[in-house]
Amino acid sequence: MSSPLLFFTIAVVFLVLMLLWAVRPPKRVLLSVDDVLNALSEKRHYARLPQILQSLRPEDTDFLHGKGHDELAARLRRERQHIALRYLNYLQDEYQLLLEASRILAKIAPEVSPMDELDRFRLNVRFLLNCRYLRFRLWFGLQPWDIFGILSDMEGDMTLQLEMATSRIGERAAISSEPPLFLEDRRRDPE
Amino acid sequence: MAASLILRNVSWALSTLLELVLLFFLVRRRFYRSHPAFCLYVIVAILQSAVVAASYMSFGTDSRQSYDVGWGSQAMVIAVRWGAIMEISRKTFADYSGIGAMVSRILLGLAACVLVYSIASAKTKWELVVLNADRSTELGIATFIVALFVFVRYYRVPMPDLERLLAIGFCLYSCFAVLNDSIYENWRRAAGNLWDYLDLLTFTATLLLWISAVRSYSEIPVATSPATLSPEDYGELSQKLNSRLYLLNHRLNRLFRSEDPRP
Repeated sequence: MSSPLLFFTIAVVFLVLMLLWAVRPPKRVLLSVDDVLNALSEKRHYARLPQILQSLRPEDTDFLHGKGHDELAARLRRERQHIALRYLNYLQDEYQLLLEASRILAKIAPEVSPMDELDRFRLNVRFLLNCRYLRFRLWFGLQPWDIFGILSDMEGDMTLQLEMATSRIGERAAISSEPPLFLEDRRRDPE
Repeated sequence: MAASLILRNVSWALSTLLELVLLFFLVRRRFYRSHPAFCLYVIVAILQSAVVAASYMSFGTDSRQSYDVGWGSQAMVIAVRWGAIMEISRKTFADYSGIGAMVSRILLGLAACVLVYSIASAKTKWELVVLNADRSTELGIATFIVALFVFVRYYRVPMPDLERLLAIGFCLYSCFAVLNDSIYENWRRAAGNLWDYLDLLTFTATLLLWISAVRSYSEIPVATSPATLSPEDYGELSQKLNSRLYLLNHRLNRLFRSEDPRP
């Protein structure tokens, strides 16, 4: 097999696989603008971060070791690691919600900056990779401080981007006499 | 040899018949109003079949004239096909001016890069330069459509079934054309009429997909309420979202500006 044939065969196989992935329906339920607003108004999981971090610190179970309850301390740490993993899932869900909100904003925005969108995409990839890495560390009982901080910072960055985007849209809405078609369609079609 | 020639001619006749059936449905459902570029593509494809058939009958299949007519008409078909694909892209993002403008720029840039790179990387012989250009263009089309679907998925843009199936048909046909051209480049002596036959077979499958999509297309609009969002409502909505995000961000900043994670 010649090298061009190999190159084009690999390219076509890759494109067909990408096509199959892209045309299948998304796993997540599509959110409307109202859904996103309602979700954003709910209490956020990241507010529990200090408690989660505190519970994973070795000092927090030192008193049990000191009193000779090593087995109890180990069990406590295992349970807390499970809780941290569940917390991580919630954090990921929250991030996905923010990402969904940012997509909706991008859809209704009259202008979109490719660099902003690229930044958000890169942020998303980094967040997912860090989530996997943190899960790995928690499974093996390693300390997660730095990564938890990074993930929460990224969620904060996403929120900041959303704030800037809504400010721009708000400014546009104030000077525009016509609402975007997207919102009109969404109003007309309850789905 | 004779058997493969008959097979090719039968496939050719079948694909032309299906093109006419597709055109019939397009005209009957007045798609020339909503999808003029796609209708033009089908018409040009039918004309290409007629012109190439006439050329084969007049000059023979292996003549220089037939070669020029075949590839010349193919260039026109590909140009019109690009128009049909751009139409699908434009219709998909019609209601989303912001991401629509960005996506169309990215897709065109990506397709151009693929085109240039695949021409440069092929290192083909001079006599196969037309074939290589055809393959590169098909690869550019397939990449454009796949990237379009990726953007549609990423931004959760609702894509009507008709546009989705038309685009899938174009993409699969282009992917197969890339493979077919590559096979021909390597084994052109052995491929012979089989190359034409495989191309026509893929095109026939694509036509069946398109006919099914056009036939099942429903013109009945979805029942909708006439309510619209006024600029005041929109401004209020934006402010509401803004204040929620501000609160969210404020809490997050307050939390993470402090170095000590203890509560």
